Formats: sequence, structure tokens, C-alpha cells
Amino acid sequence: MIQVNNLSFSYTKQPFISGMSFSVSHGEIFGFLGPSGAGKSTLQKILIGMITAYQGSAMVNGVECKKRTKDFYEDIGVDFEFSTMYEKLTAKENLQFFSSLYEKKSRSIEELLEMVGLDRDGDKRVSDYSKGMKSRLNFIKALLHDPLLLCLDEPTSGLDPTNSRMMKDMILAEKAKGKTILLTTHNMQDAAELCDRVAFIVGGKICALDSPHSLIMSKGAAAVTYTWLENGEHSANCPIDRISSDERLKGLISENRLQSIHSGEPTLNDIFMDITGRTLV
Amino acid sequence: MRLRNLFLLDMRFQAKYGFYFLYVALTVIYVVILLALPQSWREKAAAILIFSDPASMGLFFMGAIVLLEKSQHTPCAFAVSPVRAGEYMLAKIASLSAISLVVAALLALTAGIAHLHMVLFGTMLSSVLFTLLGMMVATKIVSLNQFILWTVPIEILAFIPAILHLWGISPAVLKNYPANLCMDMISGASVSFLGLFCTVILIGVLFMAVRKCVIKMWQEAGGIKL
Ligand SMILES: Nc1ncnc2c1ncn2[C@@H]1O[C@H](COP(=O)(O)OP(=O)(O)O)[C@@H](O)[C@H]1O
Ligand SMILES: [Mg+2]
Repeated sequence: MIQVNNLSFSYTKQPFISGMSFSVSHGEIFGFLGPSGAGKSTLQKILIGMITAYQGSAMVNGVECKKRTKDFYEDIGVDFEFSTMYEKLTAKENLQFFSSLYEKKSRSIEELLEMVGLDRDGDKRVSDYSKGMKSRLNFIKALLHDPLLLCLDEPTSGLDPTNSRMMKDMILAEKAKGKTILLTTHNMQDAAELCDRVAFIVGGKICALDSPHSLIMSKGAAAVTYTWLENGEHSANCPIDRISSDERLKGLISENRLQSIHSGEPTLNDIFMDITGRTLV
Repeated sequence: MRLRNLFLLDMRFQAKYGFYFLYVALTVIYVVILLALPQSWREKAAAILIFSDPASMGLFFMGAIVLLEKSQHTPCAFAVSPVRAGEYMLAKIASLSAISLVVAALLALTAGIAHLHMVLFGTMLSSVLFTLLGMMVATKIVSLNQFILWTVPIEILAFIPAILHLWGISPAVLKNYPANLCMDMISGASVSFLGLFCTVILIGVLFMAVRKCVIKMWQEAGGIKL
């Protein structure tokens, strides 16, 4: 679906996005994970043909992005970081209008509104919507023409846990229908849960790219942390796959002297810090 | 089909922002003024009124419309939709020209200007020209103040020659100047083929230039605050 090869771009004279290469296959949820200002939105803008002054190659759905025609957008749905609706029109009027711009028949507006819990607010003006309601509305706007590729920029930011859950389920439902999804986020839980693969992006470069599971595993397996009393409390760590060779732990177990024992897996956040030396937020 | 939907949206947008209400009110005021004037003044007064409001409202109102759209980030939505820049422009031009034509017709009828079709054709040409100019400026700027500043030179270049021309104070070389030509038509006078040709060419060139500006605006698609 997407092939990016040696892609470079900058807003200024200084290099910004440089030498990026990756590909995304059909039906995959691919995440761009990185702190704000990393270039995630910029990269998405290149892939949706809004920035054309790039070097290298970026192919989406068989089209080089800088050579796209307007028909390119029949199969792409974009959810920006901000609302792109007419504020004085109602939600329904907006959705009806935007869906009327495509050749394809629109999905049912009533159904989509209901799916994101806005069925009672369809006749309200968008200017009367809260921030979270606007994000949900803009999300279904991207789904209206049932596109093959969905580009979602921070879709869950600013949503409460219930709505965030609902939106994640809808994203997974789109994937189940065979859609390809590009997801930008600085929320590593969402990334770990949704994405088949994630790219860590910092300062316009991809620092790592793999499935969340492999990335987590790359740090080494989970570790066990245990504590015991011996002139005060002590604690120690041991990788879970080397427990049998930890004599102290074995001794503590056989003498029933353990105070506590926990196993913990590194989170995607730990891995991100490990690889990039930066935190996500 | 898409063009029709864009056109209907523009009309709806203009209705919600009170454009139609405003123009009903203005038309009533203009008609009252015209009727209060002596019969012999009415034709010239109507020509000035038509030229300076319905025929040129596009300059200011198209700017306002595009700025409002920018503040709501809808250019981003158009940028990633199948809508062509030309369709977007045609719909906007047509929606404002519709208001221009109705108001101009009412004023011309009130004043009893002969050759109504000439008046309407002149109003149409000016409306398209001014709407394109307004759109061009609006795609480039980010605030209402900037917009007002940049439309002043356009107003000076368009209005002063045209109004002088109406009183016959006009050098011969400006006979085919598009603003003067439109003024001629709006006052019910006939015009030369050459002048018409120049005006139509100007509209064509402007259209292509504004199309580039719209595409650029969609790509930048940055948000602004009003
Ligand atoms: N239109 C623009 N012109 C110039 N610089 C920009 C523009 N948009 C974004 N930038 C800069 O590019 C960098 C990356 O921005 P962005 O891609 O939005 O980051 P992210 O989405 O990862 O938070 C930021 O430093 C931002 O200031
Ligand atoms: Mg961003």
C-alpha cells in the first residue's frame, strides 16, 4: 500500500526528515510514534500528497505522492489533528456535504453518528460541540467514503477513556474490513494496542521500526524483582529466563524468606527511552 | 454534480452568515434612495450604486468567506478531497454572482435603465472580476486587517477610473479598461467588441492565476485565527 524510499524533506534550509525508508502493506495498522515536533504530522502530510516538495520516493496506492491527481483522494480518508468542519453548519449538514464530494456512495451518516455516540447531536451546530465531540465527528468524516487508506493524526488525543476505547474499537473494525491505517500518536499504550508495526520517530528520523511485541522483546525478556529482609530490606532483579541460575533467589525461596516478588515487562515507553534517549511526551 | 453540491453549500454558508438578509436590507435602502431622487438623476445614481455594491461585493465578501473558511480549517478538508480548485472557485463565483445579479436587476428596474440585459451582463462580468480579485487576496493573507489593506489598491484602481468615466472624464486610452467597460454596460451603454474581448481575456488569466493561489492555500492549509 505504501512504499517510502530514501525520503527527505524540510520546511527550512536545515535538513529535517531525512533518508526515511519503510513500507506498509495492505490491511496493516502502522504507527508513527514520537514526541511532538518529531515530524509525524509532516510525514503524514507527505503521504497524503499535501507536501510535494520532497526528495526521494513516496508511493501510496501505486501513486507517487507528488504526482497525485485529485482522484487519488477517492480512496483516502484523513483525520487531521484539528476540526475541519464548517462551524455554523450542523454535524449532519457537514457530513452530508463532505460525502457529496466523492464519486463513491457514502456510508450511512446516521449509523456513523450512532457509532461514535453523537446520534443525538447530529442536528447541533459544530460550533456548539466540545473538543472531544469534534474529534469524534472528524474521525467519522474520514470514514464517510469508505476509503482504502485511513490516515489518523492523534485520533485519541483529548478523548476520555470511554470514547478513546470506542474509537480504538472502530479503528480495529476498519482493519478487520481490510483497510490500511496510518496512525500518528504520542500515546504508547494506543500504539502498542493498535499497531501491527510502529516506527519510532525523533527529529525527523526513524530510530526503530518493528512490531510492538518484537520491540518490547528486543530489550530482553521480562525481569523479576524480589525483596527480602536481611539487616533491613534488600531488593534484586533477575531476567525471567535466568531464574534457575540465581542462587540467592533459589535460597530465599527454599527458606521462605521472600518479602515480595514481581515480574515486570518493559513497556513500549521504556523501549522508546532506551532507543532514542527521549521520553514520549 | 460535485459543482452543484459545492454551489449549494456556498449558498447555505452565505445564508448562515446573514448575507441574504444583509442584501435584502441593502436593496430596500437603495431602492428608497433611488425613488427619492429626481427622475433625471436616477439612471446615473443606479449605475454608481450597482457598480459600487452588487457588482463589486465579491471583492470584500469573497475575502471574508475565504478567511472564515481558513479559520475553520476547511481548506485542509478540500485539500484531501477530490474537489478541483476550479470547481471550488466556480461554485463560489456563481453563488456571489447570483446575489449580484438579483440586486442589480432590482435597482436597474427601479431606476428604469434601458437595456436591462446589458446591465446584467456588465454586472456579471464585474462580479466575476471582483470575486476573483477578492479570492486571490484572501488566499494570500491571514487576517482581516491585512485583507482590508490589500484591497485598497484594488479599489482605487477599479473605482476611481470607472466613476470618472461615467461622468465622461476619462482619457481615450482607458476606453477599453475593464472597469470602465463594466461601468459602461452597467449604465446601459453599448461597448466595443475589443473591450469585451480584453475583459474576457483578463478574467481567463485571473482565473488561472487564482487557481494556482487556491492550490497553494490548500497545500499550506495552515490554520489561522481571526
Ligand atoms: N507549515 C510549517 N512550516 C514550517 N515549519 C513547520 C510547519 N509545520 C510544522 N513545522 C515544524 O516542523 C516540526 C515538526 O512538526 P510536526 O510534523 O507537526 O510534528 P509532530 O506531528 O510530530 O508533532 C516542528 O518543529 C514544527 O514547528
Ligand atoms: Mg502532529
